[in-house]
Amino acid sequence: MNIWEKMLNVDRRWIFLLIGIACIVPFFIPLGLPILPSAEVIGIYDHIEGLGPDNAIFVGFDFDPGTAAENMPMGVAVLRHAFARNIPVFVTAYTPLGQGMAAMAVEELTNESSADYFEYVNWEDWAAIREQGITDRAGIEEAWTAEGNSLPENARGWIFEGRDIALLGYLPYFHLVILGMSSSIASQFPTDIGGTPLEEMPMYQEHKSLREIDLAVTNAGSSACVAWITYGREKIGLPVAFGVTAVMATDYYIYIQSGQTVGQMGGLRGAAEYEVLLHDNGYSKEYGKAFVGMDVQNIAHLLIIFLVVIGNIAFFAGGFNKKTKLKGRR
Amino acid sequence: MKRSIPLAIVMVGGILFIIQYFIPHQHSQTLFDYYTEWAPIVGAFALVLGVGSLSRLHSHKIKRKAKNWQYSYAVLIPLFLVPFFALIMPESLGGGMLETMGGARTTQGVFDFTYMNIQVPIQATMFSLLAFYIASAAFRAFRAKSALATVLLLAAIIVMLGQVPIGELLGKWFPKVGLWILRYPNLGAKRAIALGVGFGMLATQLKIIFGVERNWLGGAGE
Repeated sequence: MNIWEKMLNVDRRWIFLLIGIACIVPFFIPLGLPILPSAEVIGIYDHIEGLGPDNAIFVGFDFDPGTAAENMPMGVAVLRHAFARNIPVFVTAYTPLGQGMAAMAVEELTNESSADYFEYVNWEDWAAIREQGITDRAGIEEAWTAEGNSLPENARGWIFEGRDIALLGYLPYFHLVILGMSSSIASQFPTDIGGTPLEEMPMYQEHKSLREIDLAVTNAGSSACVAWITYGREKIGLPVAFGVTAVMATDYYIYIQSGQTVGQMGGLRGAAEYEVLLHDNGYSKEYGKAFVGMDVQNIAHLLIIFLVVIGNIAFFAGGFNKKTKLKGRR
Repeated sequence: MKRSIPLAIVMVGGILFIIQYFIPHQHSQTLFDYYTEWAPIVGAFALVLGVGSLSRLHSHKIKRKAKNWQYSYAVLIPLFLVPFFALIMPESLGGGMLETMGGARTTQGVFDFTYMNIQVPIQATMFSLLAFYIASAAFRAFRAKSALATVLLLAAIIVMLGQVPIGELLGKWFPKVGLWILRYPNLGAKRAIALGVGFGMLATQLKIIFGVERNWLGGAGE
């Protein structure tokens, strides 16, 4: 067995070890290389930047924990942007497990130990303000602070449940749910996951159907993108944006070119680009998890390319392309 | 009867909702709203059938001590236990679904625990394994054996380097060429596939609506 054959027969556990090291080391020795946002991600950012408290968006957590490493930072970044601009957000899930993912994202943004967190105000806690008939965003915040509440030092803002967010959760046959919401959101989700009637929520009273929604961002590890495009964009003209895993991203360029989507975050890179935009425009003091994760991807991609090149050199140098049959592959 | 009634339902329903799509009248919308309310209810029966069928299959396996029958318990126990904790057992007794969220999240019931500490790590782990197997597979199988394979290999390397910031350090053109590949050759190929699939779906759906394609009946009435 010559050196080339030995090289090609290397125990795959060595490759696993190298990948393991490539995934772990960058967490301890960050590279922090600059990331330039692409036009696809800037498209989503600019669209949300043009919205405010009078608008409303849907954010779909249409993925399972398997793709959370890629999809979760996208969802968190978009929610952060919306909360910072006081844009009401309806949060849905295309899969049963997506509901838990959505709750985790909200938890991450409202966790007091995280930088730039948002102070969460429960539906019941601001009932007195609603009873006074105050439902506009600025008025609610004014009344809330007048009650003696003050924003903690490292908090970025308030999130009023029912005014800034409605966690609607999962329903089966979600394409039908999208179709149904084009008539009335409450016909599909009479309550949020906490049991609060949607009809009572100020954000619902101002935006009763998908026709009154300004953007739907689907963070998907599934076919949710196509459902939102087919039944949201094409049926009622709802602007749609995608956050998809890297392997899915290639499938959805057709919708960007045709103008059916306002933009796309592709994989961890797309999420990191959105985090860079948020950071550079003052929406967050620190970069998020995707930016950190890009260091891992830098090294892992280089390593895989290195392995492919080495494998090809050994393959051709050993003459396996012509004659010799490789023995004892593992 | 077993064949003609389902065929008639599909034909009438299919034609009705094709027409409905193009009629922007209130009655048409009301009909459609009824449909969106009914469809998930009808679909729920499929869930009952599915759970019933799965339970029967695995309980038979256990009874007959078929090969790997022990794993059937791993299917059946969570199948009934998780909904029990999620829907039936009250939150006060440690079950229950997540009912609050964000800073006010207090629920730490069994359902929440199993989701956070079993389901999430299991799925994340399974997906993470891909990185290891892809690296190993790329090393062993990604060969420039022919001109087409070489084009594929080069495109993959350029896109991979274009997707990471370190690629830009190695060559400013990597991201540009990578994006060009995604935006043009990739897009052209994907559009062709999407159109092909779309036309195929349209043809199949029309065949089902008009009763030409009957495989979905599963041999009923034969």
